[in-house]
Amino acid sequence: MDQINAGDTAWVLISTALVMLMTPGLAFFYGGLVRRKNVLSTIMHSFFVLALVSVTWVLWGYSLAFGPDTGLGLIGSLEWVGLEGVTGEPSDTYATTIPHLAFMAFQMMFAIITPALITGAFAERKRFKAFVLFSVAWSTLVYAPIAHWVWSPDGWLAGLGVLDFAGGTVVHLASGVAALVAALMVGRRLGLVRPATEPHDVPMTVLGAGLLWFGWFGFNAGSALGANGLAATALVTTNTAAAMAALTWVTISWLHRGVPSVLGAALGAVAGLVAITPAAGFVTPAASILIGFGVGVACYAASQLRLRARVDDALDVFAVHGVGGAFGAVATGVFATVAVNAAGRDGLLAGNAGQVVIQLIGAGAVALYSAAMTAAILLVVNLVVRVRVPSEAEEAGLDLAQHGEVAYQA
Amino acid sequence: MVIAAIVVFAGLLTAWLLAPAEPTVVSEPVLPLAEGFAEAA
Repeated sequence: MDQINAGDTAWVLISTALVMLMTPGLAFFYGGLVRRKNVLSTIMHSFFVLALVSVTWVLWGYSLAFGPDTGLGLIGSLEWVGLEGVTGEPSDTYATTIPHLAFMAFQMMFAIITPALITGAFAERKRFKAFVLFSVAWSTLVYAPIAHWVWSPDGWLAGLGVLDFAGGTVVHLASGVAALVAALMVGRRLGLVRPATEPHDVPMTVLGAGLLWFGWFGFNAGSALGANGLAATALVTTNTAAAMAALTWVTISWLHRGVPSVLGAALGAVAGLVAITPAAGFVTPAASILIGFGVGVACYAASQLRLRARVDDALDVFAVHGVGGAFGAVATGVFATVAVNAAGRDGLLAGNAGQVVIQLIGAGAVALYSAAMTAAILLVVNLVVRVRVPSEAEEAGLDLAQHGEVAYQA
Repeated sequence: MVIAAIVVFAGLLTAWLLAPAEPTVVSEPVLPLAEGFAEAA
């Protein structure tokens, strides 16, 4: 067993706090995008998930995701339920220079934000009770297994050689696909001529994007699990890709719609952060510029397609996290190089075209599993409690109808 | 201790299952602070 390294431990604990801040940041990001009658309910989704998954992760989530494998590389055992055996000493398997509890807490924050991301798809029309039940089930039955597939050394996708530095497939693709399925099953919001968002507070959304960007340094650079050169690489590639995607989105909207959209800058930055997530510790800063540019184009196009489609993914979760996550997964297979991270693998441009295929297999498996399980969970939850609120409640707004509170006077 | 923790959480989960699906049928906010603001206005 390695000794605890003070620098590594400090960085991972700080990163844990940084990633925690992303979920309230997401609440602001989403909260600004909805109509004023639904802002509290939208914020509540993220805030409640923060509390909910904090407990389920300690009780069983961490064990299912990172516990000793049950034999097929599909899910962890219940050996660490209630964090039995997870202590202040380093793990033999994960991040061996920091306390096991620090690694567990860092991973907890990823488990929290993933179901919170999905909430943007069914914003303004989902019953809170159904949301609570869905979140418990999704976190347990979808997130934990996928995290095990990719991040447990015994996971079957890890065994294939899938690269996902900080959760491009585990977090963003899984939640983005789930969001699309949820939007299809819950149906469109009432009163919309076509699916479109009506942001009630763009400054709130930009504040949320800023908090997300800030927290993402913990998300990606923290995933180096040490205070080292790899963390510095991940921090630089993260910032560069976010910046490039923001510039790209603003430029396209400027040319396409005639205005350099403020909202576009926020959405573009988040798209860049999503795409660099799986690649952050495997690619060079120069590659992150190309990734940021590419995802800016891809996600802008996806958001425009969403406006023309009948599906009402209210806050563009699929366009940003689903498309961005898939784009990042493939881009990792293209740009990865062991010159950046000796523990990684070379990608297409370093002479290993097979890595792109492996990344596609990983992304496809995660997308299919998330889609199927999300649909199944929603069907079951709908048997217990109707997922969608009545039309009167939707018209009144969920803040009042579901929570008995309002965000603003007058 | 772990079993006790799981039992407590299961209690919360049961409460969520039993909680009303429509928590409120209100036309006015129930937050006292909001009423104070409304009066001040």
